[in-house]
Amino acid sequence: MAPWLVAAAVSVSLLALVPLAFIIWIAVQTGWETVSALVFRPRVGELLVNTGLLVLLAVPIAITLSVTLAWLTERSDLPGARLWAWLCVAPLAIPAFVHSYAWITMVPGLHGLWAGVLVSVIAYFPFLYLPVSAALRRLDPALEDAAAALGLGPWRVFWRVVLPQLRLAICGGSLLVGLHLLAEYGLYVFIRFDTFTTAIVDQFQSTFNGPAANMLAGVLVTCCFVLLGLEVLVRGEERYARVGSGAARHQERMRLGRATVPGLLLLVVTTLLALGVPFVIIGRWLAAGGAEVWRFDEIGLALGQTLFLSLAGALLATVAAMPMAWISIRAPGPLQRLLEGCNYIVGSLPGVVIALALVTITVRIALPLYQTLFTILVAYSLMFLPRALISLRASIAQAPVELERAASSLGRRPLNALWSTTIRLSAPGAAAGMALVALGIMNELTATQMLAPNGTRTLAMAFWSYSGEIDYASAAPYAFIMVAMSLPLTWLLYVQSKRMAGR
Amino acid sequence: MKSPLLALTSVAALAISLAAGPATAEDAGIIVYNAQHESLAKDWAEGFTKETGIKVTLRNGGDSDFSNQIVAEGASSPADVFLTENSPAMVLVENAGLFAPVDADTLAQVPRDYQAASGKWVGVAARSTVFAYNTTKLKADQLPKSMLDLADPSWKGRWAASPSGADFQAIVSALLQLKGEAATADWLKAMKENFTAYKGNSTVMKAVNAGQIEGGLIYHYYYFGDQAKTGENSKNVALHYFKNQDPGAFVSVSGGGVLASSKHPKEAQAFLKWVTGKGGQDVLKNGTSFEYAVGKGAGSNPKLVPLVDLQAPKVDATTLNSKKVTDLMTTAGLL
Amino acid sequence: MSFLELGNLHKRYGPVSALAGVDLNVASGSRTAIVGPSGCGKTTLLRLIAGFEAPDQGRIVLDGQVLANGGAAVPAHRRGIGVVAQDGALFPHLTISDNIGFGMGRNDDRRAERIVELAYIVGLDKAILQRRPHQLSGGQQQRVALARAMAMKPRLMLLDEPFSALDTGLRASMRKAVAELLETAGITTILVTHDQAEALSFASQVAVMRDGRFSQVGTPRELYLKPKDRMIAEFLGDAIILPASISGGFANSPLGRIAVDTKESRDIARIMLRPEQIGLKRTSHEGMSGTPDMLFGEVTESEFAGSTCTVAVRLLNNSDPPDAAAIGGTPLILRKSGMDAPAVGEIVRLTVSGKAHVFA
Repeated sequence: MAPWLVAAAVSVSLLALVPLAFIIWIAVQTGWETVSALVFRPRVGELLVNTGLLVLLAVPIAITLSVTLAWLTERSDLPGARLWAWLCVAPLAIPAFVHSYAWITMVPGLHGLWAGVLVSVIAYFPFLYLPVSAALRRLDPALEDAAAALGLGPWRVFWRVVLPQLRLAICGGSLLVGLHLLAEYGLYVFIRFDTFTTAIVDQFQSTFNGPAANMLAGVLVTCCFVLLGLEVLVRGEERYARVGSGAARHQERMRLGRATVPGLLLLVVTTLLALGVPFVIIGRWLAAGGAEVWRFDEIGLALGQTLFLSLAGALLATVAAMPMAWISIRAPGPLQRLLEGCNYIVGSLPGVVIALALVTITVRIALPLYQTLFTILVAYSLMFLPRALISLRASIAQAPVELERAASSLGRRPLNALWSTTIRLSAPGAAAGMALVALGIMNELTATQMLAPNGTRTLAMAFWSYSGEIDYASAAPYAFIMVAMSLPLTWLLYVQSKRMAGR
Repeated sequence: MKSPLLALTSVAALAISLAAGPATAEDAGIIVYNAQHESLAKDWAEGFTKETGIKVTLRNGGDSDFSNQIVAEGASSPADVFLTENSPAMVLVENAGLFAPVDADTLAQVPRDYQAASGKWVGVAARSTVFAYNTTKLKADQLPKSMLDLADPSWKGRWAASPSGADFQAIVSALLQLKGEAATADWLKAMKENFTAYKGNSTVMKAVNAGQIEGGLIYHYYYFGDQAKTGENSKNVALHYFKNQDPGAFVSVSGGGVLASSKHPKEAQAFLKWVTGKGGQDVLKNGTSFEYAVGKGAGSNPKLVPLVDLQAPKVDATTLNSKKVTDLMTTAGLL
Repeated sequence: MSFLELGNLHKRYGPVSALAGVDLNVASGSRTAIVGPSGCGKTTLLRLIAGFEAPDQGRIVLDGQVLANGGAAVPAHRRGIGVVAQDGALFPHLTISDNIGFGMGRNDDRRAERIVELAYIVGLDKAILQRRPHQLSGGQQQRVALARAMAMKPRLMLLDEPFSALDTGLRASMRKAVAELLETAGITTILVTHDQAEALSFASQVAVMRDGRFSQVGTPRELYLKPKDRMIAEFLGDAIILPASISGGFANSPLGRIAVDTKESRDIARIMLRPEQIGLKRTSHEGMSGTPDMLFGEVTESEFAGSTCTVAVRLLNNSDPPDAAAIGGTPLILRKSGMDAPAVGEIVRLTVSGKAHVFA
């Protein structure tokens, strides 16, 4: 294992831990008395109840919906299953706050917990659908046959054999959805539902980087850790890979018969809610706004800046993920698991927390970096590093180490050998990872608002600013462009999920 | 590419050059931390640039985050000018000693009532507190006589505000100065029970218009702005002015100041002078902001209730305490 | 009356006909092996019997109960038929104990007791009951699968190539163990395999399948010694097939006069001998003389492979005097004991034991 690679991976991980260390540092600096006064107060309790209920309600609903949809699209003879499968992923192309914008237009009074649950499920269920459908696709049908032969009817087979095997996928997806629920800001502002993240932004807007904001961030981070811990607990040390050798037989699709109509109905309704509503509403606002809302100079500028930030951030995240990905495939071990763990933990922190940390750190001790492009790109990298890491790892795994060795034995120096084999071969995976990071950055709002250099105005920022002044028509072109640019990337996500089914 | 080192280096170089690119372009003009409405600030900036050729870069945000941010940035703040919607933010920066004195001829353009006694910042516009109400839900005789009435249990669940906004916090800061800390804390506690929180005054008015709530404590110009457009978010809305020197009749002064750390003090002072002068004040009169003009002899939009008729309470803008307000509101569970 | 009756089963997958009219009777408590090359339809047949799929046409009757009649079929979970799949199909999310107890009622008082008992029966150590399937070897996994299937006291046990994933040595011992086990339990069993030796050694009845049909059904001995045609003969083992004319219970063939298993006479026929019916005895060119009714050959290849040795023998024309010219085209390939195999170039005398089989 090349020492410089390890050094690179370690320094990336250390950098990733900075926001966490920062929160602890602030807490220590603030002193216990102030901390407890800021943390143990009714408002925090209120937010805790809100956030907790949101996760407790939205995640199970999303699980039920996703598993049902995944089963329908993967294991039943539903007409047009492939198309439906993609339509179940496509809502990811629509930023959560655009979902909310559409819903608040359609149902102006929408607010509170149930509204939060509704829009959250709609906006985030694909994060569960993707892994669940991938897992369903690769289940060994022999197990279901075996269970049937042992006297279990179809329902019991599903409960006792299929569902338990989806546990890993459901755990992973639920974690992702849960973390997004904790981190989301725009969605809940529209429907007036206060969570920790909205409260942190409120505090930030009222006091900039005051201790109250940082302590709320501390509680939010604790919530994230609770979710991560829960997931580890529920997932356990399981291995659900197919036992035995030989290729799995092709799966049968179950005949739906009379259930076809309700099945189709569920998919139609889901698609209508998750894609129909946003598209129709954006269309309606575009029509209402007419040519006037297409202020091309302004839109062009925002588009340019968004693309620039997305690409630069994706590039940085991918380069930063490279050493770690290489180590995790070529030299797995305790060190690698530790390093990877750091990155995943930081990747699960809400953007608002990372941004708050970086704002305070740069203002206090690294002023030359304050409000620079560098800092916001670092923030993006920290937030989206896991996306790049997963894609890279999968593609490096497909580049056999023998090639690297062969190149070495043919006289190439180590770095050169790495470049001419593994890096070349993992390029498609790196590109996919970059696209996913870019997708995340393109729709990022909170961290961008807090960290962006002067004069920056991304599509999301422009959208947010217009919709904040309830000029929904002027916001529509920005929503439209964000969705249009993200849509192809969700296809990538869909394809990638199929490839990654094994992990 | 044959050499991996070369390739990696060039990737890194590309990233760095991309990162450095836009940052260097900023030296061309002044940076304004703008907490005012973007459209108004943009009109000001464009008008100023057109007249003087000096480029203006706006960073948009809110009163509170910018004022705290400037304090945190201290002497190394990249900002040259700070524009707010309300005075407390100005006071915060002034108390941190970060403002340079405003040029005398700029101060001379604005009445004494609308500038800091210290001459560190100057009023650029003003706005009045109003109770915007839904005309189908509330009759004129059912309206609150005073803003303080809204703390009464009879108003439970009937009114809205945007507590995280600096606008509302400015109103609270006036209340604090007029009635004292204990009364303010009590009122906020009652408010927490009674009111419904929205994000942004526009959203409050939209909810009032839609009948989701009977009334909301906001500033006057949201109504006029919407009326000037389609009126779709204000057609069921009317404004109630508390007058009578009530805390709810508070007129908030939007301020402008030049930072002591500015690297372009001349240009920054010129900008402030232009904003408070005829050019800037005419934007207020003729534009779509519907904020009150404050310049000497400058007229406001004729659609507005004249500033002198508002019977606003006498509030010393230079001692409005934003920190105390957010602390009180945090304690009351509003933040 | 037979225990399981399959009548005229048909199954198509789109344009592919997987089963084209299968009939079979299985006696109660017997062991039947279905053998055929891959793709012959044997797995489809097994899936129809198990109830994982319904036939397009035909009947399946088990112990007097109609399980399938055309498209109308009793679903798998109501059939009480045990299945052991190729790789065991153990549930990866359950312990071995829970795998074995999967088909039992959850509130069964004797559940734990029976799991231990079943584990003992299939020869599993109690210690592994709390492990997970992936921690077990292939042979252990198969035993678990068997125990799991036996736990529900099936009327019929279907084994779908259960030994194919095992090592050669393990395979034979497992096969024997499983056969004895099922015999003792009195469970009627059907084994599907592509391994003819496995089929012949395991079953009391063997059905050879080809292109979605049974080409022959019978006892292992019957099938091996009296296959219906050349393909069956060669599928079940090495075969020497020769042209011959037959009369009076004897065949005249390139190997001389050989007793056959039919009384009828035919001028043109094909006979089959298993290589093990031909004996070799070392001799020399000199030894050939004066024995015109004897058969000789020259060893052209001799490939030593441990316990066996594959020997190619070119038949020699034993005229008098011997001219040592070859008769017939291809040499005979014989597998002999490796102990004392003849070397290349040696002259051997060939003898035929038993009767040759005449193809109809």
